[in-house]
Amino acid sequence: MKIAWKEMKKSKAKFLILGSIIFLVSFLTFIISGLANGLSQDNAALIKDLPQGQFYLDKDADSTYNLSKIDAEVQKQVLIDRPDATAFSVQMGFVNDSEDKQHSVAFVASTGSQLFENVREGEIVLDSTLKDEGIKVGDVLTNNQFSGEFVVKGFVDQQKYSHAPVAFIDMTNYQEIYRVMEMQTIFIPGKDTPTLSALDSFSNKEFLNAIPSYSAEQMSLNMIVWFLVMISGMLFAIFFYMMNVQKIGLYGILKAIGMKTMSLFKMIWYQMLVITAISLVLSIALSQAFSFIAPDGMPFHLTMNTVLMLSAVFMVVGFIGATISGFQVKRIEPLQAIQQGEM
Amino acid sequence: MSTFTIGEVKKTFSNGEIEEEVLKGVNLSLKEGEITALVGPSGSGKSTILTIAAGLQKASGGEILFEGKDMTKMSQEEIRHIRATDFGFVFQSSHLVPFLTVEEQLELMLDVSETKISKKEQTTAIADILKLVDMEHRKDAYPSSLSGGERQRVAIARAIIHRPKILFADEPTASLDTKRSKSVMELLQELTRTLNLTTLMVTHDEEMLPYADRIITMRDGYIVE
Repeated sequence: MKIAWKEMKKSKAKFLILGSIIFLVSFLTFIISGLANGLSQDNAALIKDLPQGQFYLDKDADSTYNLSKIDAEVQKQVLIDRPDATAFSVQMGFVNDSEDKQHSVAFVASTGSQLFENVREGEIVLDSTLKDEGIKVGDVLTNNQFSGEFVVKGFVDQQKYSHAPVAFIDMTNYQEIYRVMEMQTIFIPGKDTPTLSALDSFSNKEFLNAIPSYSAEQMSLNMIVWFLVMISGMLFAIFFYMMNVQKIGLYGILKAIGMKTMSLFKMIWYQMLVITAISLVLSIALSQAFSFIAPDGMPFHLTMNTVLMLSAVFMVVGFIGATISGFQVKRIEPLQAIQQGEM
Repeated sequence: MSTFTIGEVKKTFSNGEIEEEVLKGVNLSLKEGEITALVGPSGSGKSTILTIAAGLQKASGGEILFEGKDMTKMSQEEIRHIRATDFGFVFQSSHLVPFLTVEEQLELMLDVSETKISKKEQTTAIADILKLVDMEHRKDAYPSSLSGGERQRVAIARAIIHRPKILFADEPTASLDTKRSKSVMELLQELTRTLNLTTLMVTHDEEMLPYADRIITMRDGYIVE
């Protein structure tokens, strides 16, 4: 593909412009995708970061997490049968610091488990974003539904629920604050999970949808991202198509001297591949760098999996656009192509 | 000996409901080592018969025999193969590949024609052809930095580097002044003789006719003389 490379070297400006467009469009898509994923993490990192397993809700809860109350006897039996199981609850609330400033949190209480922070009565472990609000280890926090005080024992990273920082507290303290004895859900990690007749079971993905507002928010964000991907993809395809249609005269000359149609296709694909690959590598690098320089309060989460998946989509769409223009080159007679190129 | 014969070739162009018959049954034989010049007024069909003969567009009827085989019955791939290996083309405005140097244009043609020679032989062949067309001093130049005459010389070099049997030249001197036109025609004449080429040329320039071995006049889609 010497000829394809030589053209790129000689016509740098043309290919640089095309590459810049692909870079900008893919960078925009990555950033928007990172922001959408960031919002998703902000909404449910607590649940999303749990290992694969099954969640169980009370049958009467009608698949709505907030309405679920696990019967104490059922819970006791499950925890005996499956020592790796944990019962937990999440409720929105707030804590007041020593200056009586209110901080919104999602209280999480669980039975003893390695999956959640284990705290003793009167202790609290907070998501690290609360450090930015001036809370330090050793601070004393209060809640107007709680008769005692919470002493901050530490911070954890990336523990958010419903866009609020998580606050891990002891189960007894939780029961006092919310005047409820039952836990909301049971989680059993692993693939070998039982069917419990008294409870409805949910996979991790299904359980996320049982969280109020999560699925609605995610649908909107995913719609934005995929519309952007579709429009970007179409732009890619159109630009590659236009570039090759502009070169129809050149392809006519090459066809006239006897170049194989497959060689022309290879030339078109090679250029598409090189431009797209370079542009995508640059936008991947820059979008990853953006995750380091993004402001602290900005929810931005862009995994390599997401980036590679989007890149694959762009590659496929670019390939389709280039191939469509290739078919036009294939169909046209050499003389007609040369004449079109002269117009 | 005739290696190329055109028999009763017709060409009709359709533009919506209007059909225009440009060639109305053309018969022609080309001979090795000869330049055959097609002349005639604009619209007489001389360029059309040349491009059809060269396999650059299809005839509406008739037969084109190359080495005994009818090209009108060949597949696109077979015609492409003949274009790549047995035909050479010189277009009116050279039509060089703009991003390749003079040397690379010739390398490309050797690649396209799948000429089986070593890298060393390729370098020698390119040097020989460039010497023949007196362009060895511009081998690293791009088409944009060449004069019209130089471009046509490179186009001729590209057309013969792979040792074709037939050379098609469509008004090869149309974009050149008289001095350069004569120089290009002298070159074509010399190459046709020394390489024993069969050359079919279209021209409207009467001054170039002395370089042709045969002159065929066309008018209104027929050969008249």
